[in-house]
Amino acid sequence: MNGQEKTGGHVFQIRWIPKYTFVERLLHWVHTISFLPLVVTGLVLYVDALRPLTQGEAGLWMRLVHRLFALLFIGEPLLYGILQPRRLWMHMKEFSLERDDLDWLKNAFPYYVLGKHGAMPPQGRFNTGEKMNGMVMILTWILFVVSGVIMWFGKGIVSADLFRWMVLVHDLTMIAAVCMFVAHLFLAVAHPLMWAALVSMRFGVTSAAYASEHHAKWYYGPKRAKELYEAKKKMVSTEG
Amino acid sequence: MVRKAMLIDESKCTACRGCQVACKQWNDLGGWGYSKTTNVGSYENPPRLSPQTWTRIKFSEYEGANGFRWLFLKEGCMHCGDPACVHVCPTKALTQQADGRVTMNPDLCNGCGYCSQFCPFGIPKLEVSGVFTGMAKAFKCTFCQDRTDNGLIPSCVKTCPAQALFWGDRDSLIAAGKKRVGALRARGFSAANLYGENLVGGLGRLYVLIEKAEAYGLPADPKYPALSTAWKDIVQPLGKIALGGTILGTLVAWLVIRRKIKMEEVE
Repeated sequence: MNGQEKTGGHVFQIRWIPKYTFVERLLHWVHTISFLPLVVTGLVLYVDALRPLTQGEAGLWMRLVHRLFALLFIGEPLLYGILQPRRLWMHMKEFSLERDDLDWLKNAFPYYVLGKHGAMPPQGRFNTGEKMNGMVMILTWILFVVSGVIMWFGKGIVSADLFRWMVLVHDLTMIAAVCMFVAHLFLAVAHPLMWAALVSMRFGVTSAAYASEHHAKWYYGPKRAKELYEAKKKMVSTEG
Repeated sequence: MVRKAMLIDESKCTACRGCQVACKQWNDLGGWGYSKTTNVGSYENPPRLSPQTWTRIKFSEYEGANGFRWLFLKEGCMHCGDPACVHVCPTKALTQQADGRVTMNPDLCNGCGYCSQFCPFGIPKLEVSGVFTGMAKAFKCTFCQDRTDNGLIPSCVKTCPAQALFWGDRDSLIAAGKKRVGALRARGFSAANLYGENLVGGLGRLYVLIEKAEAYGLPADPKYPALSTAWKDIVQPLGKIALGGTILGTLVAWLVIRRKIKMEEVE
């Protein structure tokens, strides 16, 4: 119970430490339940096999549901920005890429796909991949909202050319966002190294051992994390 | 199948607007809500095409080489040979028939309005019952599809007392239109021309005009919208490759990761 289990006579205990606040988790899941119906009701226009769902009454329903969830999708980050602007700003800074992130990207494939135990540059509360996901989400949110609102309310008001561009932008944005979502979903539910990610987003806590390995800069602080990183790099290179 | 077309001889039109009435009557169109007019110093009425007005005579006051005159233009769907509305319609409510008519099935329409925004002539109109909910349906001239499907001629052509409207095989109407243009030029209408022979894949609505197209408010060189090609033929297919590739790539990565990373060694 509570993270304890007996393996080969040893008691193996997970020490849980807080990672995400309640509001952060709430926002994550509200965003999820607005994004997924938007994707489904939008994809009917895109996937030929789903065409019957676009036609007549069904199509009118799809468009209505798309609009209802769009309200949630648009409103939730706006509300957060109005109520907690400082925290929103903090997230933007957390998602900003730095020089270290390039090193992480270079080493990500052997580490996350091939299972090599090389030294990874220490990461903050969000690693480079999560930061990129965050950035793509912010960018696609802006593009979705601008193009969507213009298509929703601007028909006949804005020029036909602008409307056509917005249709194109909405599609391109969807493609980028859904590709990112597929990767995000896979990492969250199926990647063995990321086992604590979904736990954190559900219960707000993460394992201390997991945090020290994947989020050292956040767990140890930047200075100590760098020392440990240099030490590990040296160790790996002498071993190799 | 032989392509059908409507030839509209604007040199003969008297703007009696019998075509407007015949159109409303046959297609059972009301739409008085769209038709409230204000006096703008013209006999033009109703003021514009609407979901319930599929054709109307546009009045242009024009001062040309032959002095002042009214130019009449019977507006309506051009039934393009290369119809952008059909290509962007996600529901197949709009279809191009083998004889070139661009017909519609309102039961399939979901009101997205792409047709109205991608049409190079801005013809299809949306009947919007709720801006917020997006409830709408698009309408436009169908060349009286229920009549022409059954070998009859469109109701406007049937009713025209000035004999300015013709319905038939496109090739023979082009020949007739060119002949009429020649006759008009011989009578001193030096700017007379046939509009629509090669525009946007060849229009299904051909005009004999006595002045150049711009004088009637027609675009001189309408184009199939490039953004329709960019969207439907480039972005959407590439997007499908990108989405499929991402899903496939993730699957392959998962298969590799399953073998390479052992959960027992993971912290």
